[in-house]
Amino acid sequence: MAFRIGVDTGGTFVDVVVADEGGGLRLYKVPSDPRDLAGAVLDGLAEAARDQGLALPALLAQTERIVHGSTVATNALLTRRGARAALLATEGFRDILNMRRGMRERPMDSRRPPPLPLIPRERIYPIRERLDCDGVELEPLDTAAVAATARALRADGTESVAVCFLFSFVDAAHEQAAARELERELPGVHLSLSSEVLPQVRLYERLSTTVVNAVVSPLLAAYLDALGRRLAENGFAGSLLVMQSNGGVCSPEVGKRFGVRSVLSGPAAAPVAAAHLAGLAGLRNAISVDMGGTSFDVCLIHDGKPHVTTEGELAGHRIALPMVAIHTIGAGGGSIVGVDARRMLKVGPASAGAYPGPACYGRGGTEPTVTDANLLLGYIDPGLFWGGRLRLDVDAARRALDERVARPLGLDTLHAAYGAYRVVNENMVDAIREVSIRRGHDPRQFVLLAAGGAGPLHVGALARELEIPLVLIPRLASVFCALGGLLSDLRHEFTTSFVTPLDTVDLARADAVLARLRKQAEATLRAEGVAAADADLQASVDLRYLGQFTEVEVPLPGGAFSPAAVAALAGEFHRRHEAVNGYQLPAHGLEMISQRIVAVGRTAKPTLPELAVNGSGREAAPRGRRAIYWDNALVDVPVYAGLALPAESLVRGPAIVEQETTTVLVPPEFDLLTDRRGNGVLYRKDLDPDAALARLRVEAP
Amino acid sequence: MTAGLAIDVVLATVIANRLEAITREMGAAMLRSARSPIFAENRDFVTAIFDDRLRMVAQTAYIPVLLGSTPFAVEAIADFFAGDVADGDVMILNDPFMGNNHLPDVTVARPVFHDGRLCFWVLTKGHHADVGGGGTAGYNPEARTVWEEGIRITPSKLYRAGAYNRELWTMLLANVRLPFLVEGDLQCQVGATRLGERALLELLARHGRDVVDAALAETLARSEAQVREALRAIPDGVYRAERQLDQVGRGPVAQPSVRLALRIDGDAVEFDFSGTDAQVPTYHNSTYANTAASCYNALFSSIDPDIQLNWGSLRPIAVRAPEGTLVNASNGAPTTACTTALCVLIVEAAWQALAQAAPALGQGLWHRQGIAGMSSGMNRRTGKPFAVIHHFGKGGSGAVQGCDGWDHISPVSSMGGSRAPDPELFEMRSPHLILNYEYRPDSAGAGAWRGGHGVHYRVRFTDGSTTMALAPSCFSPETAPAGVCGGLAAPPASARIILASGETRAFDGPMLFRPEPGDVLDVYSTGGGGYGDPRARPVEAVLADVRAGLLSVEKAARDYGVVVDAASGELDRAATEMLRAQRTGSNGKPDAE
Repeated sequence: MAFRIGVDTGGTFVDVVVADEGGGLRLYKVPSDPRDLAGAVLDGLAEAARDQGLALPALLAQTERIVHGSTVATNALLTRRGARAALLATEGFRDILNMRRGMRERPMDSRRPPPLPLIPRERIYPIRERLDCDGVELEPLDTAAVAATARALRADGTESVAVCFLFSFVDAAHEQAAARELERELPGVHLSLSSEVLPQVRLYERLSTTVVNAVVSPLLAAYLDALGRRLAENGFAGSLLVMQSNGGVCSPEVGKRFGVRSVLSGPAAAPVAAAHLAGLAGLRNAISVDMGGTSFDVCLIHDGKPHVTTEGELAGHRIALPMVAIHTIGAGGGSIVGVDARRMLKVGPASAGAYPGPACYGRGGTEPTVTDANLLLGYIDPGLFWGGRLRLDVDAARRALDERVARPLGLDTLHAAYGAYRVVNENMVDAIREVSIRRGHDPRQFVLLAAGGAGPLHVGALARELEIPLVLIPRLASVFCALGGLLSDLRHEFTTSFVTPLDTVDLARADAVLARLRKQAEATLRAEGVAAADADLQASVDLRYLGQFTEVEVPLPGGAFSPAAVAALAGEFHRRHEAVNGYQLPAHGLEMISQRIVAVGRTAKPTLPELAVNGSGREAAPRGRRAIYWDNALVDVPVYAGLALPAESLVRGPAIVEQETTTVLVPPEFDLLTDRRGNGVLYRKDLDPDAALARLRVEAP
Repeated sequence: MTAGLAIDVVLATVIANRLEAITREMGAAMLRSARSPIFAENRDFVTAIFDDRLRMVAQTAYIPVLLGSTPFAVEAIADFFAGDVADGDVMILNDPFMGNNHLPDVTVARPVFHDGRLCFWVLTKGHHADVGGGGTAGYNPEARTVWEEGIRITPSKLYRAGAYNRELWTMLLANVRLPFLVEGDLQCQVGATRLGERALLELLARHGRDVVDAALAETLARSEAQVREALRAIPDGVYRAERQLDQVGRGPVAQPSVRLALRIDGDAVEFDFSGTDAQVPTYHNSTYANTAASCYNALFSSIDPDIQLNWGSLRPIAVRAPEGTLVNASNGAPTTACTTALCVLIVEAAWQALAQAAPALGQGLWHRQGIAGMSSGMNRRTGKPFAVIHHFGKGGSGAVQGCDGWDHISPVSSMGGSRAPDPELFEMRSPHLILNYEYRPDSAGAGAWRGGHGVHYRVRFTDGSTTMALAPSCFSPETAPAGVCGGLAAPPASARIILASGETRAFDGPMLFRPEPGDVLDVYSTGGGGYGDPRARPVEAVLADVRAGLLSVEKAARDYGVVVDAASGELDRAATEMLRAQRTGSNGKPDAE
């Protein structure tokens, strides 16, 4: 038996999905521990082993691959607790990072403070050196200055150094020479060269991306080293892969050097899984929402693909690499509920995390959280949380909420708890509006796909507020990112710049350029253990009209240059240019700016059951009833045991459906249908689910 | 227009936001497909949608002062072609005296027809690399009339019912030095309007005209109500301010002023420029459209930043600008610097007036702009003509209550919306080598919240022919960015030319500079004005600037009363306490005010 395992560590839980060869999927959830994340991952795997009746080494010995997403790099950036980093910059260009190209993104907003730079000015070192735009050396590198700087950095405990010189994407010699000095003086310190992180023109974009790499990589490297060591100690001999921000995976070696590629390592997997699942239901347009313990991530999936951008930033830091476009706010089960300066209810963005966690965890947390509120409202069964392994303390939750919220605001406990539920929902609704309405998409024409352990309790309320008719709640919702990892391919981009007019291109030279990239790509995939049959190399080139600033990517037909291929490239370029820019200029000459190989190593993916939606479900029998607080009143609702429900059961709202790691709240305006795999379809009562599905299938915005 | 059609708020919001998104998509297409760095790198353009009644309903403004004048341009076009507007037409306009700001900003507009009826106008307007005339890249600091500035394009059709108007294109491109760039950028504008049209037709097909109209009515009404509410919160009264231009000519000549009476009356505001100096025979004059647009910049940057700028939100604003003055020059006057020089003056005066009305609205003044302006010519290395903006010499923005200014930010005509060029692309295009591009220490106006920092920009002209526009900006204490509510002014800017021979030349008025290879331009731009008493600034914040190398120990002691040991960089706490106490005891007034 060979297992494939997806692991996602968030701020609150470690999620594990184990796929066996027979297509079976099992999921596990253990608490995260920010002080020892690798240990928490091992705990999760041990839990999986126990469940399969195996010792951990036995499980790991039979595991061929572990795909891992983590928020290590994300949090380093969000909390500004990355490595202590320094920057070496070309003399005369010390402030490029903080200058941000002289812009503020909201021009009329005069009351927003300027962003803090990731590296303060006193740790940015101007170094004498200069190349011109052809790579001609105007000023040699002052290696003595680099060495002196390196000694100063050693003295002040620098953990990571970024180097970004002008025109290093044309000739990296100065950056490489500086790296040699730094390596000699600062053994073991992480180095980020802009000519390796993002060898592309545009100084600020390259510099900022490189600085982010310097700040996050040492943390990610230390974590991956610790994890790799502990997995090996426990008998793991398969391959460990790291989720990247682009929705693909890479080897730990790549991840450690280029941590910036994994700044969205955790959250990027959810849209991958969401697109996959929605696709199985025949839906091309979905909004994936992922509510975990700490954060709420939203991503718009349009025409079957998660939106990917190279125009991205995270916490105000520009990252010019392809990233799945995820909008994140601080809203989760662990979000702290409190009273703000206006004496109004406030939820998040601060989180109690896993330690001490919500007050009801009984681990010494005194701040009330969203989970505490949900418990008091009757949405969660204190005896069934996390499969019954953590008995929730209702009194502790009540005490915390009374003391910090209800009493200061003069409310009774239930009112305060319901207020917290509504405020956090409103925050999440606004985040969904941000990626849909504010970009001109009507959310009512999208299916909402709920992920994350806390999601299913809230998603019905979100759908009600946004008038979204249909919500999919996969059985694997609570471990969606871990699942997404198993559905991702290895993915790398290799790009180079051979600039030439297209009509007079030297075909042999262009082919040689591509061959070099292809060799690099093949070597990378081989090193990651991809068999030739699973490797897919796609060649493309970037073209533009002579003198433009931005290129249009066009696939190279047949993967090789020939007069026919060049003619086809030109034709396709004009067509694409017309489509995206509204015009074409067939009489104008073209230039080719760069060549690219996208290397995809296809991974074997678990087969996911198709959602069996069918309006003729039979009404299921509840296992009990309990009172929940809803719309400012106590309502007695039926409670169902999710996994015990017969296939195609119909649950009429209002109701509670309890599964092993999550609970679904069905609002009064909705009904829920389950399929035989435990997936849920939440739909408005005035619709029949087939009709709702059909409507969403045709109404592609 | 369907009166009273019930429409739910969500749908109204979706449609309004979709319209805004369309203008953003048009802008994104222009950034992608432009030929000149002025579009592609600096984002010196705007996009907008007007309804059939010529009401602005949505817009994307990287340079807000360009946007505020588009209603005048679309009116001029619709007036001129009344009865002669067909599906597939694309119109062009750049004449400052028919609703434009200045010649280089070329407006391209397209009527959008749905079911045979005119429903919308989509418009883009951007700064072209050349419009002919005697200057460089559209700027002629030596012009005495509009005719020396370039070609005047009165409303004309680039396309007639979809057919390419070959005569017009040929004539236009024959009148510019850089037809390659101008043609590419005009096509890019036409393409953006085509995208806008496509997207609007999809929107109309989905929702129907009546629903879209109802959504627009709702949106415009809400925007108007938001502005009126903001105005009601400002105390009624008349508030006056005056700001002076930097030198308009060489030698000792008068520096004219803009004079403003800002009248707040309930939920309406009037900007009255009666008493402003007469227009000048240099390119500083503003057109009425540009003056109105500058007033919008001043107001919308002071109230809730989420209020959308559209026909509704502009209704409560009146602008009175007597003809023949700096703020409403008569036909024939040169105006190229109006989007920079005059726009800045108007915003400065308006902010100072607003600060009197409500100190919490006060903003320290920003750096002005344009010491190192545009350059263009032939690049021998690439064999291609070039036109670039030297917006590396940006200065700082002013502080506001609770917030320091931003360092190195594009000036108030764009409110930080325009982007500095990328130094690498800049050097790849132009025969220029940047020697220095970093913060200028001690350039921020001190305050409880300090202004942002200016920049030291030094560039060498290497090879090939270049003509560059230069203009003094913030060169004197009167024209440097003032502080507000006790904050100090930023120090003046300065600039000089260092010839290859080693000789140094100052310049004291706007000029065209034709450098020889090896000549260097050396610019020290200024920061922004401070807000509030500098002695109230936390000592740690002052110390952080000293450690960052942005504040000298002398200025820290003089302006902030914070004593730092120059050698060790350590704070002298006792001396600081003494100095701060002593200053509070004396007259306490900051000396540079």
